Amino acid sequence: METLRIEGLTKTFGAGNLEVRALREINLSVSRGELAALLGPSGSGKTTLLLCVSLILEPTAGKIVFDGQTIFEKNRWSEVDIRRLRREKVGFIFQAHNLIPFLTARQNVLLPLNLVGIKGQKAENRVRELLEYMEIAHRADNLPALLSGGEQQRVAIARALANTPKLILADEPTAALDTARGAKVMELLKEVARENRTTVIVVTHDERMIKGFDQVYRLKDGCLNGDRERTV
Amino acid sequence: MDLAFQDLKLHKGRFIATMVGVGLLFGIVLAMNGIYRGVIYEGTALIKATGPDLWVVQRYRGGPFNEQSTLPEFFHYSVKSIPGVEKASPFIFYTVERMVDGQSRHFSIVGYDVFGGLGGPKKIVAGRPIQQAHYEMVANVKLGARIDDRIALGLHTYTVVGLTNDAVDPDGDPIVYLSLHDAQEVLYQQDNEEVRNQRERLLRTLSAQNWLTPDKAQKLLDPPGADTHIINAVLVKLKPGISRVQTARMVEKWLYLNAYGTKDEVGLVLKGRLTSMTHQLLLFRMLLLLISVVIISLVIYTFTMEKIRSIAVMKLIGAPDRVIVRLVIEQSLLLTVGAFLLGFVLISNTYSMFPRRILLLPADDAVTFAVAVAAGVLASILGLRHALKTQPAMALGG
Ligand SMILES: Nc1ncnc2c1ncn2[C@@H]1O[C@H](COP(=O)(O)OP(=O)(O)OP(=O)(O)O)[C@@H](O)[C@H]1O
Ligand SMILES: [Mg+2]
Repeated sequence: METLRIEGLTKTFGAGNLEVRALREINLSVSRGELAALLGPSGSGKTTLLLCVSLILEPTAGKIVFDGQTIFEKNRWSEVDIRRLRREKVGFIFQAHNLIPFLTARQNVLLPLNLVGIKGQKAENRVRELLEYMEIAHRADNLPALLSGGEQQRVAIARALANTPKLILADEPTAALDTARGAKVMELLKEVARENRTTVIVVTHDERMIKGFDQVYRLKDGCLNGDRERTV
Repeated sequence: MDLAFQDLKLHKGRFIATMVGVGLLFGIVLAMNGIYRGVIYEGTALIKATGPDLWVVQRYRGGPFNEQSTLPEFFHYSVKSIPGVEKASPFIFYTVERMVDGQSRHFSIVGYDVFGGLGGPKKIVAGRPIQQAHYEMVANVKLGARIDDRIALGLHTYTVVGLTNDAVDPDGDPIVYLSLHDAQEVLYQQDNEEVRNQRERLLRTLSAQNWLTPDKAQKLLDPPGADTHIINAVLVKLKPGISRVQTARMVEKWLYLNAYGTKDEVGLVLKGRLTSMTHQLLLFRMLLLLISVVIISLVIYTFTMEKIRSIAVMKLIGAPDRVIVRLVIEQSLLLTVGAFLLGFVLISNTYSMFPRRILLLPADDAVTFAVAVAAGVLASILGLRHALKTQPAMALGG
């Protein structure tokens, strides 16, 4: 089953002399439980693509179908509550500063649960389960500033998973980590995709990180380079 | 989990310091409410406590508190003869600066007919009212005197027989009650040496006139003497069912005097003596509230700016705007309400130490609280605008 389908997605910033064509006619499709990598050099449009998919940036043209629902078509958003869609069905992990600095690790994971109305013991249990899954439960009551980069990313993954999203979007989740820790975080993301049947799209510019991904999309100057390649 | 509170835990020091500062401002605002009420209370306390149906004063005068009013003492007989008047009592009121217990004190003296006349002290908290024609006094405890103390005023010494605790003149200074004739004596009786000097001066002036022999001049020095039988007002009690307005008009027409009801008298004092003061206080309270709003706005704005990235993250993970609005407004309200409580506790525990009366009314406190809360919401607008404009994409920046 298809989680996300993008057809002819184009994003242009500015106009006239200042026009930047960040994305040109992008087509891609990711199925449930699939692990997709979005590879490309700096400025190739990776973040822009992610922002369009997560409904933060409005595409200039194209169509986005998410979880069977057309959310963008013919230059306009469909009648969907975008924030609600994000908090219920999408998880985010980004390069750094994912966590809210004034909340403890536990509270950071609790926040998305509270946002969808899960409270009390049920929420606490879910938080503990997630932190244990990410092997970070022993730091539950620390503020993010006291956690290492790798520990912070594990809390961020726990938070992204909290509401069992259909799609996890990760923008260079390993960029701020050393190779060993980065590899560990990638392993966790793969595990998440497999065990939870969650679709994961990871943006990275590090070729070494994409081992074991189901799909790899290569972006260059806003274009997908050739067809998607299947890795094994 | 309360986001606003969690965030403040990280800024405890700055938050509490601001709260104390704004709390002091709110305390001053509350104190000014109390000063305002106190000024009105004290300014009209004597009039209300005396509370006759009519105050009869000198023609064209707004006396006896707003301006001098002088009447011959016997006028109260004339007033008594007006139909409908049940009782008409002489009344004298003036302010003095005398030594009490070795210290120079500013206070007012009220003289009244101690044998059943109007205008005496309303509530005696210790001792008894004046019962003799001479040399007894009832004083406000604020004067510092105790029962049986002997206080010298002018030529004589007066024994404190009773104490009041709320009799103050319009300036908030204590009132001393004396019998009418004692009060007149304290006001008008001159020292013997002073009398001799005055007679000497008069004799010289008269002798300078060619048509007077020294003998005759000497005789002219013995007029009935300086008239001390002077009062400031006649207090009137009307018979039941008699119209105040009509009696006042009769007094004005037949006796060529002015007559005011107690309400009019209060109005005169409020309008004449207290308006500029009350406007002044109102203006200052508004300025202080404005300063509070500015301080709270700035602090909330910096708090919001510092967590703008967190706000972007919250938006990115799908927090609705109301969560963000609540985060900002709640901090502003916590600050405002905390500061108000601080100011309230402060002033409630210290108001009795102020030199003049601070009258704290629950209604005033409630209105100030409401204004403060509104100010707190207003103060969060700046930060709120910024928070709501924040783009979720900002969370993804490196
Ligand atoms: N808000 C914007 N206004 C104008 N141009 C923009 C804006 N956001 C991105 N761009 C441009 O769009 C292009 C793609 O940017 P994007 O951030 O998607 O690149 P990226 O692949 O994520 O790069 P990096 O690896 O450095 O994160 C760049 O040329 C960038 O300058
Ligand atoms: Mg990027």
